[in-house]
Amino acid sequence: MIVFENVSKMYDQNVPGMMDASFHIEKGEFVFLVGPSGSGKSTLIKLVLKQLEPTDGRILVAGRNLQTLRRSKVPLLRRNIGCVFQDFKLLPNKTVYENVAYALEVVGEHRRSIRRKVPEILNLVGLSDKTNSLPHEVSGGEQQRVSVARAFVNHPPLLLADEPTGNIDPETSIGIMQLLLRINRTGTTVVIATHDREMVDRMRRRVIALDGGRLVRDERRGVYDSET
Amino acid sequence: MTIAAVLTVLVTMAILGVVLVTDKNLKEGTTSLTNRVEVEVFVKGAPPQQSSIDALRAKIAAIPEVKSFTYVSQSQALADLKTMLGKNADQILQNLQSNPLPASYKIFVKNPNQVDQVAAHFFNDPNVDNDPGTTDGVSYAKQTVRNLLGTVNLIEKAMWVVTVLFALAAVLLTSTTVRLSIFARRREVEIMQLVGATNWFIRWPFILEGFITGLVGSFVAALAVWGANVLVFNWIHGSKLDFLRPIKYPLIAQSGSWPLGLIPTLVLAGAVLGALGSALALRRYLRV
Repeated sequence: MIVFENVSKMYDQNVPGMMDASFHIEKGEFVFLVGPSGSGKSTLIKLVLKQLEPTDGRILVAGRNLQTLRRSKVPLLRRNIGCVFQDFKLLPNKTVYENVAYALEVVGEHRRSIRRKVPEILNLVGLSDKTNSLPHEVSGGEQQRVSVARAFVNHPPLLLADEPTGNIDPETSIGIMQLLLRINRTGTTVVIATHDREMVDRMRRRVIALDGGRLVRDERRGVYDSET
Repeated sequence: MTIAAVLTVLVTMAILGVVLVTDKNLKEGTTSLTNRVEVEVFVKGAPPQQSSIDALRAKIAAIPEVKSFTYVSQSQALADLKTMLGKNADQILQNLQSNPLPASYKIFVKNPNQVDQVAAHFFNDPNVDNDPGTTDGVSYAKQTVRNLLGTVNLIEKAMWVVTVLFALAAVLLTSTTVRLSIFARRREVEIMQLVGATNWFIRWPFILEGFITGLVGSFVAALAVWGANVLVFNWIHGSKLDFLRPIKYPLIAQSGSWPLGLIPTLVLAGAVLGALGSALALRRYLRV
């Protein structure tokens, strides 16, 4: 699903965002990206979304080489990648319903199927009663669930989450993680960048650890810190 | 979009509207003045011979620069003089044995610049009252026409410059305000891109919003300008102040249809300005 081959990304003044990273993430995997702030987790996610261009190396997403992907095709790439962010990134003057519906409108879905799919997914994330609220009227955990709903309503083959539990309390975080796990079980590849040590240790999934832009560890059933 | 954007469009469009109205008024005024430039050709003899009258008529009709002309007979000339002199006319004119006024042709030219040319046709004409020591036979305000045309040209050029400057100011002010209000929403644009919206899918709502902003702002501005024009017109028309009299005529000439043409022009310009401003302001944030 995601292939990095010797990928480097230099920011201005030679600040490395990513140094010679190579890895494969297979279809249907559930992967944690861990590492301290500035280790390159967000850089990696931005590279996959083609928000950033690598300075060196090759990136394949769903078999497509991002380097040769035309700019006009970038929206098509992103429609196949659901995104969840630490700051939720919801449209502030659209309601919960409209925010989720937007992801479908973008793809050109029929109004009839939007009216069917949105309540369905809002029901799945447990927000059926907040349909007409604006983002600032609901709690942080609820906003994150809206953003998960938006990311998944298209049933994309890949879902990226950048610190999805960074801004919400531990109890709500568990709910979000369970939601992401359920999404993974439907066959969607899920990649989560996180600081949440407890969560990573409890779930025992594949862990890719970054430090200073370098890939320092890649374990099948890993924990947050190196066990050696 | 913001109320600030609507207000900016309103104010700039109102200023531009006032400039356009002033420009139009000045133009109407100057054309109505230049339209009254005439050449008067006096027919030889008192009373004139019918052959002279006919010959001159044929000659005038053959000159291509002539727009129209009228024959003023001797008795008509005397009647005109009487009305000009007013209530004392009979007292002044009572001692006249015969009518000393020559008959004449009043000639209006198509273009005031051609007044010299047209007049020159009659300088050595035997049918024209060219006797030395009497009148010139051909009367037209040579120097006055030159001065008038020079002033009109200057005013037209100046107004053109002023109009262009204010139009430019309107474009810049509006696009700056629109850019600010889009800057405030750049995060929204980013989110839309992350969800996979194509650039045009993102652009259309913003352009529509800019269009409506411009429409509302300039519509109010156009109404205000139109209302102000009517008020000023009525004030000048009803005024007894002498110094306003010269501009009464042009204002009367334009009071009919054209301010209605100004409203759609301003409204459309404002709407296009708003839409264009949005599209241009978005360009920065739509780079992938």
